[in-house]
Amino acid sequence: MAEISEAPSTSTSDPDFDQETMRKSKPGLKRLTLSLAVLFSFLLGLPFLLKSIEIYRSPLPFREIDDLSTAIESSPILFPCHFRVVFVNFDPNSYTADQLSISIQAHVARFAAKNSPACGTCASNFTVSVTLDSNSDCISNGNNVDWKCGALNEFKFAEKHEDGLLDEYLASVCNNNSDGKVYTVVVVKSEQEELRAVVGKYRHAWIMGRIFEEEAVEKIAEIFVKVFVNGGKEEGSIRGEFMPVGADGRIVLSFNLLNADPHNWIYDWDFQEIDVNLLSPIIEALKPLADVSVESQVLYHTPKSSFSFWDDKLDSYIFSTKDLPFFVNSNEWHLDTSVAAGGRSKILQFVVYVPSAKECPLQLQLPNGEISPTNGFISPMWGGIVVWNPSACLTDSKIKHPLRHKISSEDSRKVFEVFMGQLRQLFDLKSDGLFVGASGTYTLLASERGFSEWELDVLSRQHSCFNLLQCGTTLGSLSRLVQSLPRMIIMDDIGKQVKYSLEAAKLTLSNASLGIYDASAESSRRARLLAEDAFYHPSMMSVSYYSFEHCFAVYSPFFLPVSLHVLLAVLREWKRYKQESKKYYAWKAVSETS
Amino acid sequence: MGIRESIFLLFLILISTYESFAKEGLAEELNEEFTEGLLLRPLPDRKVLAHFHFQSSVPPTRTYGRHHHLFPKSIYQLVNKFRVREMELSFTQGRWNYESWGGYDPISSNNAKPPGVELWADFDVPLDQVDASWKNLTHALSGLFCASINFLEHSTSYSAPQWSFHSFAGKLRYGTLPREAVCTENLTPWLKLLPCRDKAGLSALMDRPSIYRGYYHSQRLHLTSDEFDAVKSNSGIMLEQTLTVVLQPSTLEARAMVSVKTLQPSWSLSSLFGRKVHGRCSVSKSSNVYVQFEQNLVSELKEMWKESEGSESGILIHDDFWTNPIFEMSASPHRVVKEVGNLQQEDSSILYEFLVEDYNDSEPFDLGLRWKLPVAWLCQQAPLRASRFLMGSGNERGAIAISLKSSGINNTQRVGCSEKGSLLSIDIFQVVPWYVKVYYHTLKVFIDGELQSTMENIENMHVSPSEDKVSPGVMEMILRLPCGVKTAALTLEFDKGFLHIDEYPPDANQGFDIPSAVVSFTDFQASIGFEDNFLNKLPILNELQERKHVICYTEVLLVPLTTPDFSMPYNVITITCTVFALYFGSLLNALRRRVGEEERLLKSKAAKKKGPLTSLLSKLFAKLTGRPVNPPETPSASPSFIDYKLIVKVILVAGMAVKLFRSSFQLN
Repeated sequence: MAEISEAPSTSTSDPDFDQETMRKSKPGLKRLTLSLAVLFSFLLGLPFLLKSIEIYRSPLPFREIDDLSTAIESSPILFPCHFRVVFVNFDPNSYTADQLSISIQAHVARFAAKNSPACGTCASNFTVSVTLDSNSDCISNGNNVDWKCGALNEFKFAEKHEDGLLDEYLASVCNNNSDGKVYTVVVVKSEQEELRAVVGKYRHAWIMGRIFEEEAVEKIAEIFVKVFVNGGKEEGSIRGEFMPVGADGRIVLSFNLLNADPHNWIYDWDFQEIDVNLLSPIIEALKPLADVSVESQVLYHTPKSSFSFWDDKLDSYIFSTKDLPFFVNSNEWHLDTSVAAGGRSKILQFVVYVPSAKECPLQLQLPNGEISPTNGFISPMWGGIVVWNPSACLTDSKIKHPLRHKISSEDSRKVFEVFMGQLRQLFDLKSDGLFVGASGTYTLLASERGFSEWELDVLSRQHSCFNLLQCGTTLGSLSRLVQSLPRMIIMDDIGKQVKYSLEAAKLTLSNASLGIYDASAESSRRARLLAEDAFYHPSMMSVSYYSFEHCFAVYSPFFLPVSLHVLLAVLREWKRYKQESKKYYAWKAVSETS
Repeated sequence: MGIRESIFLLFLILISTYESFAKEGLAEELNEEFTEGLLLRPLPDRKVLAHFHFQSSVPPTRTYGRHHHLFPKSIYQLVNKFRVREMELSFTQGRWNYESWGGYDPISSNNAKPPGVELWADFDVPLDQVDASWKNLTHALSGLFCASINFLEHSTSYSAPQWSFHSFAGKLRYGTLPREAVCTENLTPWLKLLPCRDKAGLSALMDRPSIYRGYYHSQRLHLTSDEFDAVKSNSGIMLEQTLTVVLQPSTLEARAMVSVKTLQPSWSLSSLFGRKVHGRCSVSKSSNVYVQFEQNLVSELKEMWKESEGSESGILIHDDFWTNPIFEMSASPHRVVKEVGNLQQEDSSILYEFLVEDYNDSEPFDLGLRWKLPVAWLCQQAPLRASRFLMGSGNERGAIAISLKSSGINNTQRVGCSEKGSLLSIDIFQVVPWYVKVYYHTLKVFIDGELQSTMENIENMHVSPSEDKVSPGVMEMILRLPCGVKTAALTLEFDKGFLHIDEYPPDANQGFDIPSAVVSFTDFQASIGFEDNFLNKLPILNELQERKHVICYTEVLLVPLTTPDFSMPYNVITITCTVFALYFGSLLNALRRRVGEEERLLKSKAAKKKGPLTSLLSKLFAKLTGRPVNPPETPSASPSFIDYKLIVKVILVAGMAVKLFRSSFQLN
């Protein structure tokens, strides 16, 4: 008790000494240090407390995610493309191979520049090699050109319009090296008056007829850019977000036969046969893009929900294109999601609608007043519908007990051809086998597998691009979500999935730059799947119930009164110390002067 | 030679015709089939039972392929994905009244289900994958039927009965949700599995308000599949859907004759359901409606007939029997089917068959039954009536009692009970949640009110005790009772467990349900045999004919558990913290105290100014202690000091009180 050791009795001896404002001894520090020590120990303990009530959050690579999303968004993924042109029977003296190559490059660049570099295309990332095959000798400008000289001479051009045969022959000639995906256009100069431009089922096209180099160069560039790279779409934009593939890389094709009113007639199909004969080649062809599975069902009592009216001229019931949004009756058509498919598979519904006797035959009228030849329509990302009118339409429908009919295999083949076209349309490909470009019309040969190889290339490129975009946005929103909810538990699983997803995305980018379409589609699928898995992880939404308010409610009964005590003590001791030391200095000053 | 040749020829023809027949038979088997049926039965307590029965079947995948035109796609995918061998799912609202609606017929044994959801499934997977399959199946079903079947996923809510429920080698799982509410959202997906839904056929009768107005409502889905059996089979998957409702016919007509109290209410399809049948579902193979008169009702009717006409029996199958003095049917039955094989009793139940095919839109089928004379009869009862109740009081312990009462002598005489000393065997299967801790050693058996040694009366018993938060307790036992038993009772004592605060449901004070126990009488078969052999093709009659044990379910028990005050943890936390804070604060203050200075200060203050109150107090104190008054030495705080300290303390206490109050208020 140093500061109170001075007895009031001693002060009376000194007249200068004012007891109220002066003191002789230095004020002690004991209580002040004690209070400060308590305060500081509390302050030091605070981080430990916060650490102890912290929740587990697996560290996520936020920076890498941001880098990836900005990289994907700023510049679309571009694939390198290799083009090859073979001029057959052209005069080698008029143009050299190099001149032609430069001219084609210029044209290709001009076409590509027309539309902004879309995701999954080549833009300016292409090479063109030109070979001049003039029967006797071949002149090439590229060093990796492996065109068999005079190969086309072996082919009998006698059968002029056998496109399929020529296609197969070219395939055998062109695709002897399969490592790089080279698109070939063969230009054959002949005396034939009619000019034919055909795109084959593989990765080549040919132009035949009386044609000059200048004209040919234009056509070649158009085939390369519009058909081989963009997939024959009119506008260059790729609607990547409309790719009908589920997040887990699966598509379920659900085929439904709807009998609108089974009291009139009941139609059945032999789906087993259709599955084996018509659908399995397509499933096989789409394998690099997605796992496709097929299921079917027959439903009864499923009227459409739009109205149709009788047209005397057309002798049938008519529904027009503006009725289409109301055609699908979601109350009665229980098409259902599939139990077999996982939660994130894409289900494409294909519906054969057999109208009832009241509305038979039912025809779709196009806006130009004509009757639709397919009698069907698609709904993007949902599927397609075909109205199939039974042949017994106009006969007496007042049968008491309807017979079971079977849709003949001829009819079902027709219906499924329409479905194939619809599937191609859902994938944003052309379904009519013709491409009308600026410089002419090109015939597109249809593959029996539904998709030709160059189309699958286009789809692969778009698919990997779309997947990567999706992966980027998913990871981006995941990181935003995680950062905005500081009290959300993040399991190690999620961290791992994000890491692997980023790795897969990087692999996709490197594959894309090397031009390996299949592998990049594959890895992009994995990247997207992992990103979605992380986002939809069951533990994701388990926001800790131990919220901040809760924490405050639990700890405040202790810390609030204690902190009040501690702070008050420190304040008061500090004030007192200052006051007492002032007194001491006052006395010191007085004693020194005296 | 000629004869021989002709014989040979005949033989050839025979063989070829036989082959063609066989082929036809095979072709018929190899098709999907759908049948519908409705059974109506007047009940003794002026109600009507309506039992809808739909059956779809599909040949096995290996011969038929995986594309179907009738069988529901979702069920097929379910069976294949989870490799289900047999499954039964039932949604029930209300309790089957065994006394007045019967307990000894196939309908009650098959379709009287415990309230809520009951699901059992048998899987064709290795033993270690059964639980995983079950979990996935419950999720798929809860999505399919819009119900919270996924709550059966937790291992605390399902059990694996060993032998009593249905005998499958360890691959069967059984679970119930007694508190699941059943309504249209469960019926609509169930109807979607029918090819015609409720657009045509008998299911068109299912007018939701009429169905749910009833006293009992049970929709059931039962499927069997032998898709995965190694042995070549040809039955494929069979899906059986039944809806059993007990309805009260609208009593408008009955009110007019209120004087005749015993007159049964007259009803018709349109008065029961508010709808009529406009023909069958076009894809169904058969579509029949049956009206069943029970055995006891038939004998009663015969009695009355005898009284009124004086003629002998056989009238009920007379040509114009549907307009007789006792009752009248609005339509003439296509056929009358009589029960056979019921040798013990002279009278047997009668089924009137109506074909829906004969009706159409212009002439809808609206079957009506009008009673002209009052009739009273009793339903056939199960040999023993089972009920279950709780004993004891308080929140600590109690006992479960299952009581079996003889319902009458007539039934027990049926099977091998004629000679004395023979025994009646009864299977009991009971699942108890883990928080009701049953002590199985306390099992007591009372027969006719007297305590018996348990070993004598229990033939077989399998108990798997509950494990806290892991598995429920399962008890399976076969009880042997003497034939002439009047009452029998089983009691089991239990302790009520404590749940963690997170495990309580939102309505914890309502209590917890113990699922129904299943009591089956293995000596008794509930089946009705019919005379015609070709009736086997009709699934609804097949269901009646199937030889199954008599089964009944006991009541669901409601156990109140101790529910904590859910704000208690917070109250404890706040009080403890406050105490700690007070202690800490006073310790800190004590450490900082300057005793000498304070005393000096007080002394000087007291010397300067002495308040009247303090002097008075010091005088009083001096008088009390007998010491002389020493005013300057009296320690007494200055008013200003008191004020300051007081204010701080008051603020502190008030703040704490407010906080305490607020936190407890929030958490309550």
